[in-house]
Amino acid sequence: MDYLVVFLVLVVFLQTRVTDLKRAVVCLASQSVIIAIACFVIGFSHGNDIHAVMPGVLTLIVKVIFIPGAVYRLVQKLKNEREIVSASNVNYSTMAAALFLVMGYALVERLMPGAAGRDIVASSILMIMTGLSLMVLRKRAIIQICGLITLENGIYLLGLLMTEGLPLVVELGVFLDVLIAVVVLVILTSRMRLSFMTTDTSVMKKLKG
Amino acid sequence: MNFDIRELIYIILALPLIFSAISAANFLGKDVLHWLNRLVATGVGAAIVMLLMTFDSDIPFAGQYIYLDALSMWMLIIIGTLYFAFAWTSKAYLDRDTNKRYGYLRRFGYLEGRFYALSHVFVWIMLLVVLVNNLGLMWVTIEATTLVSALLVAFKFTRNSLEATWKYVMVCTVGICLALLGTIIVYYIQLNTMGSENALNWLYLSQHSKLMDPAMAKFALCFLFVGYGTKIGLAPMHSWLPDAYSEAPALTSGLLSGSLCSCAVYVLIRNIIILMPAIGIDFISSLCLFFGLFTIAVAVPFVVVQRDIKRMLAYSSMENYGLMMAAFGLFVPVAAQAMLLNLFNHALVKFSLFYMAGTVIGEYGTKNMMRIHGMMVQVPRSATFLLLGIVALLGMPPFGIFFSKFYMLYGFFVSDHPCLGVLTLVLLAGMLIGILYHVLRMLGGRPKRKAAGELFGFIDSLVIAGLLIFGFVVSAGLGEITILNHLINNAAKIVLGGVA
Repeated sequence: MDYLVVFLVLVVFLQTRVTDLKRAVVCLASQSVIIAIACFVIGFSHGNDIHAVMPGVLTLIVKVIFIPGAVYRLVQKLKNEREIVSASNVNYSTMAAALFLVMGYALVERLMPGAAGRDIVASSILMIMTGLSLMVLRKRAIIQICGLITLENGIYLLGLLMTEGLPLVVELGVFLDVLIAVVVLVILTSRMRLSFMTTDTSVMKKLKG
Repeated sequence: MNFDIRELIYIILALPLIFSAISAANFLGKDVLHWLNRLVATGVGAAIVMLLMTFDSDIPFAGQYIYLDALSMWMLIIIGTLYFAFAWTSKAYLDRDTNKRYGYLRRFGYLEGRFYALSHVFVWIMLLVVLVNNLGLMWVTIEATTLVSALLVAFKFTRNSLEATWKYVMVCTVGICLALLGTIIVYYIQLNTMGSENALNWLYLSQHSKLMDPAMAKFALCFLFVGYGTKIGLAPMHSWLPDAYSEAPALTSGLLSGSLCSCAVYVLIRNIIILMPAIGIDFISSLCLFFGLFTIAVAVPFVVVQRDIKRMLAYSSMENYGLMMAAFGLFVPVAAQAMLLNLFNHALVKFSLFYMAGTVIGEYGTKNMMRIHGMMVQVPRSATFLLLGIVALLGMPPFGIFFSKFYMLYGFFVSDHPCLGVLTLVLLAGMLIGILYHVLRMLGGRPKRKAAGELFGFIDSLVIAGLLIFGFVVSAGLGEITILNHLINNAAKIVLGGVA
């Protein structure tokens, strides 16, 4: 489990550095792989029934194969799209992530000193906050989608640790919703490419007041 | 024909889904599609009326995944009425929007099937929201409404609607993810105190809610309040709301404002009922009062300086939901009842107003209120109905909102919050001045632009007049209509959770 946390933190930090959209998607997929492994580890430590395997399998199918696949197909259609930002923007999100990591550990120390899943809780707080900061600081639609999935992954990991998985129906519903959300966002992004000739969300600032 | 409650619920849930599958397949002719749409909505409406007749609101109906009590029955009435109104106005709306000369959708006439499919799925999910018994499933369905309605908001795929939808999906999904975290914490509390039996079942939790850990419950409430508050459009989280309402097709805006926000309020209240005994009402009360009044205060200046007619209505919707949250936070029976009544009245009036705003936009080809003058001369029928709708919205007698707003304000004074009551009155007065100023400018004066002609047809005016009269009859005659009176009394009892 410790190795997983190290890899997870590494991938999340990498996520904040990446400006190339394809690499961002690969990053997202590898992050979901780690989550899936964590699901299996936590699941098998509590029992051997279907509920132990289900979250991991669903994560593999939905978040590792389907979502990055859909986003990757979209990215291939976008020609020479690279996040053109000044380096400071990227540095800000990395800085923010570092702060969030410290904040996460401080929060965990404060709330549940000496708890077993301390590292996982801290890293899931890191993921939630980093996802948010990616959505706020970055301008590319694809990166924002990655931020959203990171946020969702963080909440999911935290939930998995706290409750050993939601009831099965709810779990299925959550995965269905994430799936539909990504489909909707991919549709919107490809429409954005047609209407605005770019997927930079900073061009959309007409609606105010 | 005699159906029991279970069969009626199955009918209500089956009909819209079947219809949307048919219209998505897109093999029917347009006329058949329009009539089938009306038939399905009328069928669902009839089933809801029959359900109201057979259902005894003292005895909740609990199935494995379905739960029906007075509160959900009341929500079903709201959604059913809007569904009916939607179906009977949609043909006129689509004819106008796909008109060869001036319609927004003129190049997309073939998309009518898709519009129907999405709208009916949207209504279907909202029906599901109020019928499921599980807090987790409520979360899932609320999130699903965001996603389906996002496709409806972006239906025209113009630049503005794309921008509005992007904001809508991003802000609401983040908000709703926080609500998921809150739901997970509720489940965590349940695991620690009651075990994993009946996981997240609302009925079970509400019966055992005294066992919960207060500190954790407060923690959960914060996430749930921010999450579902985003969906309701409470003040600091409202940035998506005016954009989405103003860029969506008029009928979708009506459904979003009237029924989707009500559903979000419903789910938030369901969650609060569970957490209430553990936290105590003081904290919840101040939270609801503060955010409710703050929402009204934020909405007022934007209405006064507004130029876009649908954005103005969107801000007025924020004002109404702010007032309802504040009234809920008072925790007195009279205010809780008035809040439920206002959910109903506001939904009816706001749906009609958004529909009429769509008509006005069709007639003048602009959303800018500063460029519309002399409606009374050019398009007298739309002008009359717009005036009636606005008068109803602002809470003037004899329309329904008058009664509900009056009792909500009355609630402020009976529950020892006279200062807040006066503050609310001042804010509402600002709202009234802003909206009335804009609308009277549009209605009066000399016409300066050529209008496309009276687009407000016969059936539409019947439906809109019906909505306004229905709101009036229900609110004014609530004491006389025994079945509704009983229902809303029980619903208010559920909302207060046995506190007051």
